[in-house]
Amino acid sequence: MKKLTLNSILISLALVLSFVERFIPLNLLVPVPGLKLGLANIVTMFALFYLDIPSAITITVLRCVLASLIFGGMSSLIYSLSGAFFALVIMIILKLGYEKAFSLVGISMGGAAAHNSGQIVAASLMMKNTAIFAYLPILLITGLVTGILTAIIAMNLFLVFDKNNRVKY
Amino acid sequence: MRLKLRYGDFIVFLVIVLVAALLVAAFYQNDTNQKTAIILQNNTVIERVDLTRISQRYLINYYGEYPGTIEVNNGKIRFLSAECPDKVCVNTGWIDKPGQMAVCLPAGVIIKIEGVQTDTDIIVK
Repeated sequence: MKKLTLNSILISLALVLSFVERFIPLNLLVPVPGLKLGLANIVTMFALFYLDIPSAITITVLRCVLASLIFGGMSSLIYSLSGAFFALVIMIILKLGYEKAFSLVGISMGGAAAHNSGQIVAASLMMKNTAIFAYLPILLITGLVTGILTAIIAMNLFLVFDKNNRVKY
Repeated sequence: MRLKLRYGDFIVFLVIVLVAALLVAAFYQNDTNQKTAIILQNNTVIERVDLTRISQRYLINYYGEYPGTIEVNNGKIRFLSAECPDKVCVNTGWIDKPGQMAVCLPAGVIIKIEGVQTDTDIIVK
């Protein structure tokens, strides 16, 4: 029961984050479709590190579905789901080497790059055209920047949680 | 301890930069003296515009769930207005070089510029 509640809270938190980042006009800076900060990934990383893989999957999938029901659309659901799926797989793999080979920064950067690649693959399949792959380099480089940013936020968050040792269920 | 970077972080960074660089190289095209803008909607060509020939302002409308208007002027092309939710296509602005493109993902519309290099500048008879 406690797990259900915690997961629900995390889903709503992820939803709020993906709603808030829509108001940050990154697209005016770099007008590329699919560009975003990826703040909701902080929640996914939290679930991966403090809860378990099934929770992380549930939170991510439900966040994508709810976000596209509220402010996206059918096509945005397919893009965000495929991006989130690729990102989760890569982050689960990279997490195996956590503290030995990778820090949160590497995991977050890898997740961001996987998210962008997944989105582009889905978009090119939907539009049946590979031209959209020309956007991938810009997305990968901006993903490095946003990946480092979200990793810094997540690190500080994790430090607070470790100090208080509050997450137990 | 969490803030300390590991060697794997640099590997991830380098791999991503390398993939990005390879993709840039794969899609790079030289500027050419003949340019055609191809407008695709859901992978069907709705219009081809010879950018080097059109000198007057020219508007193209597209329809569907999120309709919009494309403007051609002075050898450049852009999304003038669109009814899609994100407006990424309009924010892209003018494009005029081969290999460049502007995309409206919600509408499924792609404008891409293709160049043909003709080696001779002028033919004198």
